[in-house]
Amino acid sequence: MKNPFRNKTRSALSIIGIAIGIATIVALGLITAGMEDSVQTTFNEGGAEITVTNATNIGGASGLLNASFIDELKNVTNVSDAVGQLSVSESNQSFMQSRSPVMGTTVYGINASKLNLAGISNVDGDVYEEDSFEVIIGSRYADLNNFSIGDNLSFLGHDFEVVGIYETGNMMLDNGVYTSLSKLQNISDTDEVSSILVKTSEGVNDSIVSQNIKDKYENVSTLTSEEMSSMLDEVIGILDAASLAISGLAIIVGAIGVINTMVMTVYERTKEIGVLKSIGWKSRKILTMILGETLVLTTLSGIIGSVFGILIAEVGVRLIGTDGFSLVYTPKTFILAFGITIIVGIIGGVYPAYKASKLAPTEALRYE
Amino acid sequence: MELIILYNVLKQYDDGAVTALNNISLSIEKGSFVSIIGPSGSGKSTLLNMLGALDSPDSGQVIIDGIDLATQKDLSDFRRHEIGFVFQLHNLLPNLTVQENVEIPLMDANMSEKDKHRRALLFIEAVGLLDKKKQKPNKLSGGERQRVAIARALVNFPSIILADEPTGALDTRTGAKVLDVLRFVHESIDATLIIVTHDRDVARLADRTIEIRDGQVINDYYNR
Ligand SMILES: Nc1ncnc2c1ncn2[C@@H]1O[C@H](COP(=O)(O)OP(=O)(O)OP(=O)(O)O)[C@@H](O)[C@H]1O
Ligand SMILES: [Mg+2]
Repeated sequence: MKNPFRNKTRSALSIIGIAIGIATIVALGLITAGMEDSVQTTFNEGGAEITVTNATNIGGASGLLNASFIDELKNVTNVSDAVGQLSVSESNQSFMQSRSPVMGTTVYGINASKLNLAGISNVDGDVYEEDSFEVIIGSRYADLNNFSIGDNLSFLGHDFEVVGIYETGNMMLDNGVYTSLSKLQNISDTDEVSSILVKTSEGVNDSIVSQNIKDKYENVSTLTSEEMSSMLDEVIGILDAASLAISGLAIIVGAIGVINTMVMTVYERTKEIGVLKSIGWKSRKILTMILGETLVLTTLSGIIGSVFGILIAEVGVRLIGTDGFSLVYTPKTFILAFGITIIVGIIGGVYPAYKASKLAPTEALRYE
Repeated sequence: MELIILYNVLKQYDDGAVTALNNISLSIEKGSFVSIIGPSGSGKSTLLNMLGALDSPDSGQVIIDGIDLATQKDLSDFRRHEIGFVFQLHNLLPNLTVQENVEIPLMDANMSEKDKHRRALLFIEAVGLLDKKKQKPNKLSGGERQRVAIARALVNFPSIILADEPTGALDTRTGAKVLDVLRFVHESIDATLIIVTHDRDVARLADRTIEIRDGQVINDYYNR
């Protein structure tokens, strides 16, 4: 038996309305999941627990630290190791002069034997030689810029050979470039370091050690990995709230689309329900037919809407061209989109039909 | 034997501003052919709705085949098996073809799809619309729609056939043909046939004519 509630024009309109809602939910879902993912980082075991930097600001940038300070820190109680790290960013000007395909690369200089303090332990290939024009790069950096071992990376007018690629699972770290401290100091004309990575003894309270350092040396600031992760947690929390708000908006937009198209058909349907009831169809049978039609419509719309949502998000991300940001496909996004639509379809389509089925046939027949 | 009994049936609309049926009492015999006449707005359609269990009275009783309808929770089986209703406004389903419309009452009849088609086509042929069986109602004239509605009402061989102005939109010849179909089913299966009409010639064809005005019976007589 053909479903008497199937109507091509009506279905097409409903599908468009519902699909717009689903597309919105899916597109925003992919983007917010991507946003969260780009912030989510895991902290590596074995890395330094405390990062010490110069507290005095020179012209907006935090100042450097004297290398002799490293040895002083090693003598602080409960500090087991300390290593200096220099970070140098290529300014836009030197970028223009260089042939580097990558804009704004930051290179970190650290003693190769102390890479573990930076959180790097597994290097594919070799680690750079002391004082050589060699670098190791993070896997993400390699992917994004299409580098592999043996390639040359141009930095501050010098060619560095990529000798190794490492992966830590930490997005920020995996987007980095490392070379020997002495070489980086040499080409950037300094003998100082920008931060000192401090490893504490087993089983001590990092924040006490951190406080000790701050008390002892007035013009330094410290950041423990715990503080860092709680800062990141805060950022993720804000993103979570933002993505919840955006998803909420998408859901409302989507729901309005669905309800709107469903309500549009209520009057027509009420009359059809009246006809069927007067002929002796049971309310249950009528509702089953309407439920079936609603499910067919929402599923079709769900598929069409999801495809459009993906297209919109993918095209959008490419147009804006945010480097290092990619959409994240989680089942959650699609389950949410389908779930909302089916719930809303039932509220918007089946509930009015249920009410209409309770009317006396003659009353339902009066709807035009 | 009395098949339908109305006792003091009152039906009002707009919070009592309109009294469509004013404490009507009447009874209709099983297998009889009754015509209802009266001026427009006198309550004929409202009365027919009561007789067909499509609406319930504000007060009073409707008893069909010994059953007080007010006591029934679900009238759908009763409507499907016993009643064939031809609406004044046809009420066909716009998404379905002529044939599909006629097949609706057979929905869960205990017969094969093929038999359903055969039965539907039998009645579609009887009302002279075999060439339009695949059309949607919006492509049909008013009279054609009326005839589809009649085929749909009869397809189940109902024991009570209620027709609201079945010939109102038809020319004399087509009207006569449609009446023949109604009377054929009435006679062949001893169905009770009740028609509303404003045509006195049509009304005279019935065994009995009930005349109503302002929601009350003002005249009730046998034609032979
Ligand atoms: N649902 C309704 N709401 C309000 N008033 C109604 C309703 N249905 C019928 N009426 C009123 O009840 C009265 C009887 O209506 P009914 O349809 O029974 O008349 P009728 O005799 O069939 O008229 P016609 O010959 O024009 O079809 C009319 O005054 C009509 O306006
Ligand atoms: Mg009427």
